[in-house]
Amino acid sequence: MNIIEIGGLTKKFGDFAAVDNMSLTLKEGEIFGFLGANGAGKSTTISMIASLLRPTKGEIKFLGKNIAKNAHFAKMNIGMVPQDLAIYEDMSAYENVRFFAGLYGFRGGELKARVEEALSFVGLGDKQKELPKNFSGGMKRRLNIACAIAHRPKLIIMDEPTVGIDPHSRNYILQSVKELNRMGCTILYTSHYMEEVEEICTRIAIVDHGKIIADGTKEQLKAIITDSKEIWIDVKSVEGLNQEQLKEIRGVLSVRIEEQRIKIQSRAEIGNLNDIVQQLIRDGMEIRAVEEQAPNLETVFLTLTGRNLRD
Amino acid sequence: MKTILWLMAHTLRNTFRKRSNIILFLLPVAGVMLSAGLYGQTGGTGLSIGIVQQDGADAVGRDVAAFVGALDGVKLTDTSDADLRDRIAAGKLDAGIVIPPGFGESLKAGKPMQLELLSVKGAQVTAYVQAMLDGYLNNVASIAAQAKGDEARFEQIYGEYTKGSFKVSREQLTDASNVKDTTYQSLGFLVAFMMFSAVNMSEMILREKENRTFLRLLSSPVTAKSYVAANVAVNVVAMVFQTALTLCFMRYVLDIDSGVPIMQLAFSLVLFGIGAIALSLLIVSLSKSRGQSSALQNLIITPTCLLAGCYFPMEIMPDAIRKIGAFLPQHWLLDTVNRLQQGDSFGSLYMNLLILAAFAAAFAAIAIFRFSRNNDTRTFV
Ligand SMILES: Nc1ncnc2c1ncn2[C@@H]1O[C@H](COP(=O)(O)OP(=O)(O)O)[C@@H](O)[C@H]1O
Ligand SMILES: [Mg+2]
Repeated sequence: MNIIEIGGLTKKFGDFAAVDNMSLTLKEGEIFGFLGANGAGKSTTISMIASLLRPTKGEIKFLGKNIAKNAHFAKMNIGMVPQDLAIYEDMSAYENVRFFAGLYGFRGGELKARVEEALSFVGLGDKQKELPKNFSGGMKRRLNIACAIAHRPKLIIMDEPTVGIDPHSRNYILQSVKELNRMGCTILYTSHYMEEVEEICTRIAIVDHGKIIADGTKEQLKAIITDSKEIWIDVKSVEGLNQEQLKEIRGVLSVRIEEQRIKIQSRAEIGNLNDIVQQLIRDGMEIRAVEEQAPNLETVFLTLTGRNLRD
Repeated sequence: MKTILWLMAHTLRNTFRKRSNIILFLLPVAGVMLSAGLYGQTGGTGLSIGIVQQDGADAVGRDVAAFVGALDGVKLTDTSDADLRDRIAAGKLDAGIVIPPGFGESLKAGKPMQLELLSVKGAQVTAYVQAMLDGYLNNVASIAAQAKGDEARFEQIYGEYTKGSFKVSREQLTDASNVKDTTYQSLGFLVAFMMFSAVNMSEMILREKENRTFLRLLSSPVTAKSYVAANVAVNVVAMVFQTALTLCFMRYVLDIDSGVPIMQLAFSLVLFGIGAIALSLLIVSLSKSRGQSSALQNLIITPTCLLAGCYFPMEIMPDAIRKIGAFLPQHWLLDTVNRLQQGDSFGSLYMNLLILAAFAAAFAAIAIFRFSRNNDTRTFV
């Protein structure tokens, strides 16, 4: 069953189309990844799915029902984790979740049970009475999630839920997403972190300039890239490296440097590894390891958009 | 409905979680105490008043001086016209009265000449004496009117009036006008504070937007309309409670009888309060942040309250400024109170009440229009 069907969705701010004639289907049980750089139109799209913004054009169906006409039904069954924290800093963690869950009509014992369940799910079970203003960034993010799941929505929309937090909390959140999915929730997960999306999502759409430019499983997406490969060369120090010279080498498409690692994207059919290594030695690099990478989502993104995900 | 109640409880809790909001809520009571202090008790410390008796030949004229001298806490000093101003300026006298030649005659004719209370200390010192004096002179003038020029008849009634001890009659008539000032000024404070509290409560909408919880609220089954409705409902409840508290405090703790049936007073105040809430919504709908709404509030509420006479009596304002008052809802409320105190019936003031209702309707209409026009997730509603 399709939980979300989007057809011809467009949102214009003045003349600028933040979302441009987008069509998309989400099946029940998926963890669907929305991958795109900042400003690609991810938040705008999900705001429309969550009935926060009215589309300029197009239609969104939730479980087969048009959300414009069945807003209440859709809202009852969707949980939204906004990109920016949306919690009351001066209300305890418990009060926060309780207030939002109450908006879905729960009262009394059931409300209490749901609130406690949501809080312990995100690992804040022992912090119920504390005020979020004393929380770490990661704990606030987790509370932000708890507020969206206490009413047990069928679809959970998460807008960059891991921005700016420590690796521990980030990992906790990623595991929670998988757990929620195992419990039967469909997840729509937006991110500009390729690794996250690759780790948890069953299907991925790459968004750019308000359009979906590719979608499928990660294997399907990577299969798009048949004509380029990525070579990683670890060196002792990149000092003295002449990037321009590297780019001159036949077949090299781009060069990126991440600390002591040189990442070179190159045409697949051209055997230029010798030339590359020789050039590095000429620049005085001390090579530690050379590795040819299978195509990853980052290369897919780079190839499709001509830009880096984090530019 | 269930959701609206849930939202109302939330709004109430969030508003009164902050101690400063509780204080703001209770300020009108403090305002009443303050104005009661200013206008109510002038006695205590004692007032020294200089009197220039230029009508000493006339018994009625002499009685005027005697009346003032008999007032509680007033010490009377005879002086000359030339001396009076110097001694007031030097602070040796708190106030002075000149009883001009022929004053007694004018009283007996039922057309008393103007009696001026000279002072450099301002209304808080002289209001009490002035009020007493006005009451006394009014009474004598009405005795004269009853006598219809019949000298003997005047002497008879007047004699009884003055003989029936100044004290008794004084307490009755002065209390009335003195209390009028206190009531008027207390309500002026209440009006100003009502407007500030209303904005304070409506600003909650902006706070929810600023910390993004508004976005989350709207993704739940709550609509922007029901959220604003819950906010307004809490605002109305708080305002009714605030009005009731202030009026009861005035009546039963400070023992000020405003001379107007309390329900009529409450009704007018609540009607005005609804307008204040509509205005606060308008302010909020025009603002993108609480910084903006505070600026707007200071720009709108403080000056209009000043111009409408909420903080001090209109009498000290130039005529031109008094006319501006007609465009301000505060003026129409205070005018209603004033006229009720002067004995106008509630029914006859329907024009004032209609004007107050019209202000409320106009503010609300513009606010609703503004709210409905704006559907941007970055600025919201
Ligand atoms: N309310 C708005 N008014 C004007 N432009 C907007 C508004 N909201 C978003 N945009 C623009 O639309 C584009 C997409 O934004 P957004 O959906 O937030 O991107 P993402 O979530 O993918 O980073 C951006 O260029 C942004 O500046
Ligand atoms: Mg975004």
